[in-house]
Amino acid sequence: MLADRPQFEDLYRAYMGRIYAYVRAQVPSSADAEDITAQVFMNAYQAYARFEARNTTPAAWLFRIARNATLDHFRAHGRRERLRRTIEHQPVAETDPSGMAEERIQYRALLARVAQLPERQRDAISLRHSGLSFEEVGVLLKCSEDAAKMLYHRAVKALKEAVAMEGA
Amino acid sequence: MSDSEDLELEALQRQLDDAFETTRPRPGFEDELWTRMQAQRPAGSRLRDAWLGLIQGIREVPAVPMAAVAALLVVIIGAGLFAYSGLGRGAGSTATSLSAGQNGPQSDHFAPAGAFGRLPGPVLNPVSPDKSAVGTTAPSAAAPGAAYSGAVTLTWKGTFTLTLPAAPVFRYQEPSTNVADQFATSLGAILHTRPAGYLGSYDTTDFNVLLRGTVQSPAHEPSFSILPIKPIAPIEVAGGPADVAVVILAQHSLAPMWPYTPQAVIAGDKSTVMLLRQFAVPGYGNSYLVDSAGDRYGMEVDLQGNALIGAAGPLPLGLESASYPIISGDEAVRSVLASAPPAAANPSAPVVTLTTAELVYSLVVAGGHSFYEPAILFSGTFTANGKTYDKHILVPAIDPSQRSS
Repeated sequence: MLADRPQFEDLYRAYMGRIYAYVRAQVPSSADAEDITAQVFMNAYQAYARFEARNTTPAAWLFRIARNATLDHFRAHGRRERLRRTIEHQPVAETDPSGMAEERIQYRALLARVAQLPERQRDAISLRHSGLSFEEVGVLLKCSEDAAKMLYHRAVKALKEAVAMEGA
Repeated sequence: MSDSEDLELEALQRQLDDAFETTRPRPGFEDELWTRMQAQRPAGSRLRDAWLGLIQGIREVPAVPMAAVAALLVVIIGAGLFAYSGLGRGAGSTATSLSAGQNGPQSDHFAPAGAFGRLPGPVLNPVSPDKSAVGTTAPSAAAPGAAYSGAVTLTWKGTFTLTLPAAPVFRYQEPSTNVADQFATSLGAILHTRPAGYLGSYDTTDFNVLLRGTVQSPAHEPSFSILPIKPIAPIEVAGGPADVAVVILAQHSLAPMWPYTPQAVIAGDKSTVMLLRQFAVPGYGNSYLVDSAGDRYGMEVDLQGNALIGAAGPLPLGLESASYPIISGDEAVRSVLASAPPAAANPSAPVVTLTTAELVYSLVVAGGHSFYEPAILFSGTFTANGKTYDKHILVPAIDPSQRSS
């Protein structure tokens, strides 16, 4: 094992909660968030032998995997939901009451509002507040550090307006 | 941008910081996931870690005779190959035993060997269980004689070879009413009442669904029973009652996800189909689940022709598994013979010659968590006053060092 690479378990213990929070801000149910978080760390565990710390930080590497897993989930979920609604003519389920009781979220409404932002704005806020630098956010969103800052500030303003509209 | 707007944005950013900082999964998820990841590691890396651990251990031992080290190596490498090849872990990962087309996992989570701590041992209940309560025990027509629970003296006249070093123990968490409600919802049933002693009684337009938690004595796992509240139309299926039963269960998303052997008893146009539950034991094969009378059981479907008139079985619950060392066949025989007083001490007790033994699984109820544990079921028959009796004796298979009772 490379000297500058932490043990995977250390990485897991340090980032599992943050990855879960990032995912949870994207999806409407805790059950989905758990599934995706599990997938993230399963993938990361298998790929850790190929991780090179000199190319990227462990945080950026893990959040890249998390972002890809979340996008995969939305793609698969979209297909399943379309199929289900076609068969059952039912509206989309909005909440997950059973899961909501089990997790620990103090700002549920705020995160739900984040989840409704456009994808890049949602990502910018979630990644930034999960502890990534603007440089790391930019790398993940394939833009410059300055563009990531701008995207983030626009996202926060959009969120503020959405919250204000909800309260009006 | 005004100063007040700046302040509002800063306040929102602080709230976001707090929101992401305090959003965490339910307690226990972190360790559950880590355990799952460990269980899915490639055999090679687990074996490598075992080697590293072994070498580290040897380095820390100051002066050990080479012969002892060599012997230790042989034992540990053998155990390591067993444990880390997947054979020593809970079934369902690489060695899931299947039956009748079942291909679901029988364990959802794999814990390290011995992870459940010392285990209470299984016992047979001297009183026959109230089979009508759940009705999932194998039909009595399969048994040649009445069960006998009185004092006996024992002899052994058979062969029983068991050389497995370990077998999986399975554990489930007692379901809450919330879990029961979710299960009922998955069947399309709505809560009607919560009768005393039950998790709930639910109705669909066609069925009543009754759900019950673990029963302490005689031990029985959480279960469901389904009774039609109006006549159910027969289904069109080619094949015997077992085929009909499996199709009906599948239609209601109740087909068992564990290995089983079907068994049908037909009486006129009615039939009772038992799907006798099994647990896959790596290196051994499938082992039947037996109840507190030593009878095999699982899921029951009652049919009239091709129409369902009732069904009962275990609630589908997530199982964790952990590998535990078990005793050998010879030790089991010694243990069973020691469980009864010698003939000289009780000359009036009937002498039972035990002739068969098999590795089985038995439910051990233990509060919030209960266990399916491996045990060895010895059986024999004897005749008294012209009547033939069956005698079953259950011997815990878990090594005594890992048992609490």
